[in-house]
Amino acid sequence: MAMVSAASSNPGPNQTRLPGTPDKPAGKPVRPRVVLAMEGVTKSYPNGKIALRGVDLIVPEGDFVFLVGPSGAGKSTIIKLLIRDEMATKGVVLLDGRDLARLKRKDVPRIRRKIGIVFQDFKLLPHKSVRENVAFALEVTGAPRETIGPVVDRVLRVVGLTGQADQLPGQLSGGEQQRTAIARALVHNPRLFIADEPTGNLDPLISWEIIQLLLRINELGVTVLMATHNAEVVTALRKRVVALEDGRVVRDQTEAAYHRED
Amino acid sequence: MIAFVAFSLRRAWQGLWHNRLMSVAATATMVLMLALLSGLIILLTGLDATLKYVEQEVQVVAYLKDSANPQDINLLETAVGQMPQVTEVSYVSKDQALKDFLGRHPDEAEVVNSLPANPLPASLQINLRDPNDYLDVATYLRNQAPVDRVLNIKQTVDQMVTVIGILRAVGIGVLVVVGLIVLFIIVNTIRLAVVSRADEIEIMRLVGASDAFIRWPFIFEGALVGLFGALITIAVLWLGQGPITTVMADYFKVLPVEASATVGRDVALVVLGTGVGIGVLGSYLSIRSYLIR
Repeated sequence: MAMVSAASSNPGPNQTRLPGTPDKPAGKPVRPRVVLAMEGVTKSYPNGKIALRGVDLIVPEGDFVFLVGPSGAGKSTIIKLLIRDEMATKGVVLLDGRDLARLKRKDVPRIRRKIGIVFQDFKLLPHKSVRENVAFALEVTGAPRETIGPVVDRVLRVVGLTGQADQLPGQLSGGEQQRTAIARALVHNPRLFIADEPTGNLDPLISWEIIQLLLRINELGVTVLMATHNAEVVTALRKRVVALEDGRVVRDQTEAAYHRED
Repeated sequence: MIAFVAFSLRRAWQGLWHNRLMSVAATATMVLMLALLSGLIILLTGLDATLKYVEQEVQVVAYLKDSANPQDINLLETAVGQMPQVTEVSYVSKDQALKDFLGRHPDEAEVVNSLPANPLPASLQINLRDPNDYLDVATYLRNQAPVDRVLNIKQTVDQMVTVIGILRAVGIGVLVVVGLIVLFIIVNTIRLAVVSRADEIEIMRLVGASDAFIRWPFIFEGALVGLFGALITIAVLWLGQGPITTVMADYFKVLPVEASATVGRDVALVVLGTGVGIGVLGSYLSIRSYLIR
């Protein structure tokens, strides 16, 4: 089942493709089936704080990974490195085969379009409707006007918000707001979907709806990386769990449960 | 490309409207600076025109004694006219001098009429081939019986050149200072706009918007502030040009000069260019720090 057709890099607005298939046969295929690879990644800050200490992490295409660990363990730092908000002090971060440290400044926006990201606080624009919020991600990346409408309709259908398209975020429930954010994260047909505490502000029932949605997106072929403290969800799903502690990966298990020390 | 410009303009307009109060403040400051700028340009243009007039027209004026014999005056006029340095001599009688004065300053008629006698002297107005011959001619004139005194126009011209030079230097200095203040205010206004939309910028970065898409709406916003400021200034100048001309003419009473209206177009262009330029520069400076990451 095909889902979204992103704006710029794709052949055309009506030509759908399976998400997760590479845009093109990459020139330098560094393990093409790996979406994310971190090798010996260390991140230290000028104030001496060390956020990551030699992290290795390989995420193959189609994986669903929980990133767990206490606050300050390094989850946010990994996410910041992935969206290239920050750069690793040591080690290599490859996203879809591209070395983020060697990325030219002007190529950063393009690599960010390969990532869909949602946060605990949704980050929606309050004076824009659901549809406008989603369309915004396409407008500001220079998508041709006529392609925006169909793409927005499609992602709104995926997240089940077609009926609320014209409402403002303030008129929506928390779950609906997060689904709007998810829809926005999907418009560029991402290779990697990052969810940073997506259920942190939601009650358990709504949280499950959001998790179901993320699972569905994963089934559609999108690799999902979810940072969370939600033990119940992690344990119930039996997915891969990567646990961080003090900037190190202390556990990396498939079909795992949440541990108390996480 | 057109879509990009349309997008940027739309967002710039939304930004201005969103921060109406600050936009008005920035525009008002811009108007203030542009008004100062155009005032200085007009003043300097007027002074330059005056200077040219003085240099070209009468170069030596010899005031004649009221008691002078008309025959002597005639002889003197002929003699001066035959001097090789002189191109033209004309005699201005007391009556003519009064008429010229009243023509230039009709408001003073009452004052003049209340005087017991015509206070203005008759004069010989002499044009020179070369202004440097002034001293020869003036010395000759001073030694002639009918001549009361010789007006030293050259000295007046030299003084004016100095005054204009000082005015220009001071004016430009003041303008630079005011320009920097305006730039500072614009930078702060746009920075406030940037800060108030930090969420939006963050989202734009997250969804992979290029720097151009983030930067240009703000640049357009600054340009719009400059444009509005310039248009308001030009409108004010347009409305005020009648009164301004009157004031200027009054100010330069001593010389028969009219503030020229042809400077209008040049002033408008300078105002427009400066306004938009400062707006764009201000935006560029304030958004820059947000993009270096």
